[in-house]
Amino acid sequence: MAARDQHGPGAPWPEEGAPELAATNRSSAEGFRAVGQSMRKLEGLDKATGAAVYADDIKLPGMLHAKTLRSPHCHARIVRIDASKALALSGVHAVITGADLPTKYGVIPWTQDEHALALDKVRFIGDEVAAVAAIDEDTANAALKLIEVEYELLGAWLDPAESRQNQLTDERPAIHEGHKHGNISKRVELEFGDVEAAFEAADVVLENDFYFHSSTHAAIEPHCAVARESADGLLTLWSSTQITHYVQREVSRVLGVPQSRLRVIQPNLGGAFGGKSDPFSLEFVVCKLAQLTGRPVKMLWTREEVFYAHRGRHAMNMRYKSGVTKDGKLTGVSADILIDGGSYSSFGLVTTYYSGQLLTGPYDFPAYRFDSTRVFTNKPPCGPKRGHGSVQPRFAFEVQLDELSEAIGMDPIDLRRVNDVGEHTETVNGQRVTSNGFAACLDAVEEQSAWKERRGKLPAGHGLGVAGSMYISGTNYPIYPNDMPQAGIQLKVDRSGLVTAFTGGNDIGQGSSSVVRTVICEELGVDSADVRVVAADTDLCPVDLGAYSSRVTFMVGNATIDACRNLRKLICRGVAEEWGIDPSRVFLGRGEVFDTENRGNPKRNITTRRAFEIAEARCDTLGSTGSYNTPKLGGDYRGGSIGASPAYSFTAHVVEVLVDERTGMITVPNVWVAHDCGRALNPMLVAGQMEGSAYMGIVEALFEDHKVNRFGLHAGPSLLDYPLATSVDCPDLHALIVESIDPEGPYGAKEAGEGPLHPALPALSNAIFDAVGIRLRKLPFTPGKVLAALDEKRAREAASAEEAPSC
Amino acid sequence: MGNLNLKINGDHHPVDAPDHWTLLEVLRYRLDLTGSKQGCDKGDCGACTVLVDGKPELACLLLAGASEGREITTIEGLMPAHRAAGGTGADPVQDAFDRAGALQCGFCQPGMMLSTRALLNEEERPSRERIREALSGNLCRCTGYTQIIQAVELAIHETCGEPVEHPAWAPDQAPWGDAVSTVPGRKGTGSSDTTQGEQA
Amino acid sequence: MLRLPTFELHKPTTVAAALEAAAASGPATRFVAGGTDLLPNLKHEMIEADHLVSLAGIESLRGIRLDGDDLVIGPMTSLTDVASSELVQERAPALAQAAGVVAGPQHRNQGTLGGNVMLDTRCQWINQSYFWRSALGFCLKKDGTECHVIEGGKRCVAAVSNDSIAPLYTVGAKLVFQSLATPEMIAAGAPEGVQTRPVPVDALFKADGAYNKKVGLQELLTEIRIPALPAGHRGSYQKLRLRGSIDFPQLGIAARLDLDEAGVIVHADVVAIVVAARPVRVKKAPDQLVGQTPGTPGFEAALAELCDLATRSVKALPNIPGDTEWRQRMVPVLIEDAIRACV
Repeated sequence: MAARDQHGPGAPWPEEGAPELAATNRSSAEGFRAVGQSMRKLEGLDKATGAAVYADDIKLPGMLHAKTLRSPHCHARIVRIDASKALALSGVHAVITGADLPTKYGVIPWTQDEHALALDKVRFIGDEVAAVAAIDEDTANAALKLIEVEYELLGAWLDPAESRQNQLTDERPAIHEGHKHGNISKRVELEFGDVEAAFEAADVVLENDFYFHSSTHAAIEPHCAVARESADGLLTLWSSTQITHYVQREVSRVLGVPQSRLRVIQPNLGGAFGGKSDPFSLEFVVCKLAQLTGRPVKMLWTREEVFYAHRGRHAMNMRYKSGVTKDGKLTGVSADILIDGGSYSSFGLVTTYYSGQLLTGPYDFPAYRFDSTRVFTNKPPCGPKRGHGSVQPRFAFEVQLDELSEAIGMDPIDLRRVNDVGEHTETVNGQRVTSNGFAACLDAVEEQSAWKERRGKLPAGHGLGVAGSMYISGTNYPIYPNDMPQAGIQLKVDRSGLVTAFTGGNDIGQGSSSVVRTVICEELGVDSADVRVVAADTDLCPVDLGAYSSRVTFMVGNATIDACRNLRKLICRGVAEEWGIDPSRVFLGRGEVFDTENRGNPKRNITTRRAFEIAEARCDTLGSTGSYNTPKLGGDYRGGSIGASPAYSFTAHVVEVLVDERTGMITVPNVWVAHDCGRALNPMLVAGQMEGSAYMGIVEALFEDHKVNRFGLHAGPSLLDYPLATSVDCPDLHALIVESIDPEGPYGAKEAGEGPLHPALPALSNAIFDAVGIRLRKLPFTPGKVLAALDEKRAREAASAEEAPSC
Repeated sequence: MGNLNLKINGDHHPVDAPDHWTLLEVLRYRLDLTGSKQGCDKGDCGACTVLVDGKPELACLLLAGASEGREITTIEGLMPAHRAAGGTGADPVQDAFDRAGALQCGFCQPGMMLSTRALLNEEERPSRERIREALSGNLCRCTGYTQIIQAVELAIHETCGEPVEHPAWAPDQAPWGDAVSTVPGRKGTGSSDTTQGEQA
Repeated sequence: MLRLPTFELHKPTTVAAALEAAAASGPATRFVAGGTDLLPNLKHEMIEADHLVSLAGIESLRGIRLDGDDLVIGPMTSLTDVASSELVQERAPALAQAAGVVAGPQHRNQGTLGGNVMLDTRCQWINQSYFWRSALGFCLKKDGTECHVIEGGKRCVAAVSNDSIAPLYTVGAKLVFQSLATPEMIAAGAPEGVQTRPVPVDALFKADGAYNKKVGLQELLTEIRIPALPAGHRGSYQKLRLRGSIDFPQLGIAARLDLDEAGVIVHADVVAIVVAARPVRVKKAPDQLVGQTPGTPGFEAALAELCDLATRSVKALPNIPGDTEWRQRMVPVLIEDAIRACV
C-alpha cells in the first residue's frame, strides 16, 4: 500500500530520467506534464450543456413518488399512528412507520441513535414519522394529510446551557432516554503542558467569551434518493450522498440486506459541503418502499425538508484564555466550549474532539487545555459543515490573537510569524506536522493586500484584518475501526488506448474524479480525452471512504499513483519482453514509449496505445489496483488519533471591509486567500476550492443564521429567509496558491477544500476592528449588532473623556 | 395530442399536463429536459431559470399553461442553436464556464449560463458591475462567484477581443485551455483539440 | 418539489373575458399576473383557489403610454420594463427606482407592476408551508386565531411589502379597477356589464394584514394612472435589505419634493412601507419641508427635525423576519437618504 511504500512527491519521470523534456511551463520544469495544468473538469461540458444526470433527473418505468410525514412537535412521545385512511386512498401503494425500520443507525458506530422513521419519540420539529409511496407527488401529499398521529407532548430543551445542567423530570425527560449522560452527548477534556504556569509566565493574558451561531450547508441541490429492487432481491439505490460507502453500510444493516446485494450509486451531486455525509432517512425509506411495492421509488426533499435535515455547523459558546509574552510568544491557551448538538449524535463525537484537537497549529504554544461539551437540544441535528468542528474555535482564537497583538503593540501578521510552528515537527497535542507553508501564506497576503501600506492607515470605516489556520488532509480515524485501505482504486486498460479508473471516491463537484484523471495522465502519459473515471458506484468501484475530512485528493490521489505505477510496471514488462531488453530501459510517458538506450530505433519508439496492445498480448488482460492507508499517527492518549492527519494544510487570509457607521452594514470588497495546498495538481480546481471556502466563511458571518424560534420551529426554512449571498454581495476573491510539496501527498499535494474557510470569519472581525474600532466576538455580524457595538464604543469613549483630567 | 402546445428550443411540443403544473415540472418530468434544475421550490434560488422570449424567468413560478405562445429556451437549447448558426462545440458561454472553473457542482449553472446568455445577447461588453447585477438572481453555493464572473469575462473576451484580467492563481499564464467552441465568421478561437491545448 | 394545489386555469385574451371567467368561477378565484407572489403563496396553502385566471394573454393590459396629461401603465407591464422606461424615469423617478429594486432580475422580468401593487402582505409567521404553520398553531392571517406578532392581537399586522406602492402614493396615482356587476349589484340598481372604478392609491389599503385592500377579489386592476407632475418634481425610493438582490424590503421609504423655479420646496411627501399592514404617510413632511430651500441651514434643520419626528409615527413591528430594532433605527436614516436623493 502506498503509505507503507512511499512513492515521494516527485514526477514519475523527473528531469534526470527524461532530460529531453523541455521546460515549457513551471510544472514541466520539475518534470510534470499533467500535474499543475488547469485541465477542464472531466464532466464539465456535460454540466455546462445540461446533460449531466443528478439524482432527481432519474426517471424509471413505473416509478412511485414518496413523501415524509414529519413531527410538528419538538419533543413528544408517539402514542398511536393510524395510517388506514392514507392506505385506502386511491394511488397509494404503501405507508411505512418506525416499526417497519426499527434498527438504530448513525454514521459513527458508537453513537447510533437515529431511526429512519421515529419509533417511539420525536425530537425536533421536522423529525420523520411516516412515509408514503404513491403514483405521484400530489397523491403522496394527500395521503400524508390522512395519517393520524397521536402525540404525548414533552417539555422542550432549546437552551444548550439548560441541557448541560441536565435537570431531568418526568415532564421533561432526556431527549435520548436511556442515554448514559442524559442530555450530554459527549464531553472531552484534555490538557497538554502546564497551562496555569503558562499564564503566569505571560506578560499579557486575555480572557473573553465568543459565540458562533449555527449555519447550514444549503447546497443548491435538495437531497434526493431513488431505489429499485430487482425480482431476485438486488437493491439499487441512487442517492445524492457524498459518502456512498457509509450509506451502503447503514442501509444494509437497517434493511437486513447484505452489502453485496445493495448497490449504491452517487449520480452527479449538486453540492454537499458536509451536508450529505450522514445516511439520511430518505435513503432507508425509498429502499424499504421499493421492496414493499416492487416498484422503483423516488423521494425528493423540498427545500424546507433539507433545512430540517440540517447537519450543519454547531453553535458554540466558547471561552478562550490565552497568554503572550511582550515579544509576542504565546505561552498557553485554555478553552471551555459548550456545543449545541441539536437532537441527534451524527458526527458529534468527532465534532467535540475537533473543537479542541485542531487548534494546535499553525501556532506553537507549549501549554494547552480544552474542555468541550456537546449537548442535545430539540433542534434540527448538527453535524459536519465545511471545516467540521474547528471553524468555531478558530474564529474565537484568531480574534483573541488580534487582541493580544494589539495589547503588546505588535503587528498581527508579525505575531503570527513569531509563533509559526514550522515544518517537520510535532504540535503540543502530539500531531505530526510535515510540510508547512504558513509563513509563505502570510507573506503572500501581506504583499497582495498592501498590508504594510494600508493596515491601520485607511480612512474611518475602511479596514484590513488577518487570520490564519491549519486543517487536516483526511485523518487516520476511519469512522469504523478496520485495517483495510481508506482509499482503493482499480484501473482497466486495453488495446483501444483508453484508461478507465474505478474509484469509490465521491466527486461532489470539487473535482475529485478530475484529480484521478490528472494523475493517470501524468503517470501513463495518456491524453486526458483517453481517460474515463467511473466513481462512487459500489458494484463497480473499490471501497473508498468518501468525500469528507478533506481526504480525497490526498488519499485517492495516492491510491491512483499506486495503481498507475503497478500498471506501468506491467506494461513496461510486456514491452521490454517484446524488445528483449530490461524493463528499466522502457520509458512510458508523454504519449510515447521508447527504449531510453536506443531511442533512434523507430521500432523501439511507439505510441502508448501500441504499448498497451503489446502488453495485452504478452501479459494478458490489463488492469491494476492501488490503495492508500494512513501511517499510524496521533498522540498516545484516548482520542489522540482523532484529528491526526497525514498532512496539514495552512491558510492565511486578509479581508478588506467597509463599515457604514450610519446603517451598520458591512461590505467586503476584497479577500486575499493564501493557501498551502502542498502542490496544486489542478490550479483552477484548487483556486475554486479556496475561493468557495472563503466566500462561504464571509457570508455565514454576514447573512446566515440557522436558528429556531420560540416554538422550537426552524425560523425560516427557505432560501429567502436563510439568505445566501448573491453575486452583488460577494467580494472579489484572490486565490494565492502556496506550494510546500508535502513528502507524503500525491506529488506533494494536500487538501484545499475546507482549510481555506477558517480564517475568513476572524479576519473579517479583525478587519472590522481596524475599520471602526469595535471587537465583534459574537456571530453573526448583523447591522444591528454593529450599531450596538458602535454605541457602546462611543459611550465608553465619552466616559473615559469625562474621567480624564481636563487640560 | 396534448392539452398544451409549448414552444421550447425552437420546437413545438404538444404536452399533457394538469393546470397546476409549473413550466419547470413539465420541462423536467414530462419532456425530460432535466437541465433546468429545482433548488428552492419557489423562486428564491434561480436554478430553474429559463429564457422566455429571450429574458431570464423562473420556471418554478411560471404555470405551464400560461407559457403557451412564448419562446422558451432551456440549457439544452444553447448548443443546438450555436451549431445551427454554424458554430462548433458548445455555446461559447458554456465553453467559457467550463474552462474558467465556474462549474463545480454545476447545479445552479444552467440557470446562471442562461442569465449570462441573455445578458450577452443584450449587451456586447457589459461591465463587471453589470455582470454581477445580471446574475444576482442566480444563487451559487460553490464558487463565491469570482470564477463565474471570470468565465463571463472570458466569453466576452473571446467574442469581442477585449482584454481580460488573469486570476490571482494563474499570474503568469492564460488561465484557460483552448476553446472547443468556434463561432462562425470569427477566427482564432482556438483549436478544437482541448487535450493538446491543455498539455502543450 | 413543493407542489401547487390543484386548480382550473383560465386563459382569457380580453379583459371582458377575464372578468367573465372570474365571475363564473365563484369566490375562490384569483387573477394571476406574473405569479411571483401568488404561486409561492399557493404552494404554502396561504391562499385557496379553485380557479386561476391568467392575465398573461391579455395584450391590452401591457404597455406604458401617455393619455392626455396622465402617464398610464398597464398592470401587466413587467417591472423590468417599468424600471427601464424613460417615460417613467422622467415622470415618476421614484417608481422607476422602486421597480428596479424589486426582488431579483428574473422576478422583475416576469413580475408585473400590477402584481406588485396587489402583492399580499408578509409576516415572519405566515410565509411558510402549511406544515410549518401548523407547527405553531397557525395565526390570524390564515387558519388560526392567534397573532404571534402582538400578544392578544385581534387584527393581523402582516406588513405591506410592495416596493412600488410607496412611490405610487407620493405621486398620487389612481388605480383603475374593473369588474362585472354581480346579480346582487344589479338587483340594487347597478347597470349590467363591466363596472369601472378608479381608486386613489392612498384609499386602496386598510389596516388589516389578512387582506389589506379595499377592493374585492373579483375586481381587476386594469390601469395605473399617474397624473402630470410639475417640472420641479423630484422623487426617490430607498429600500432596506440585507442582500443587494432578491430580498423583500425590510423597510421602504419614498420621498417626493417638488421645487419651484427658485428652488424652493412647494410640495413634500414621505411614505413608509413594511411597517404595518398599510403604508404610513409621514404627515409632518410638508409642514417641515415646504418653503425650505435645499442647501440652506434652514432646510438642514428642518430635515433633521423631520427625521426625528418621523420615528414617532413610523413604528416598525416585529412582523417580518429580521431585526426590528435595526429597522426602526433605519427609519430616519432612510428618510434622510430619500430626501437628499431628491435634491
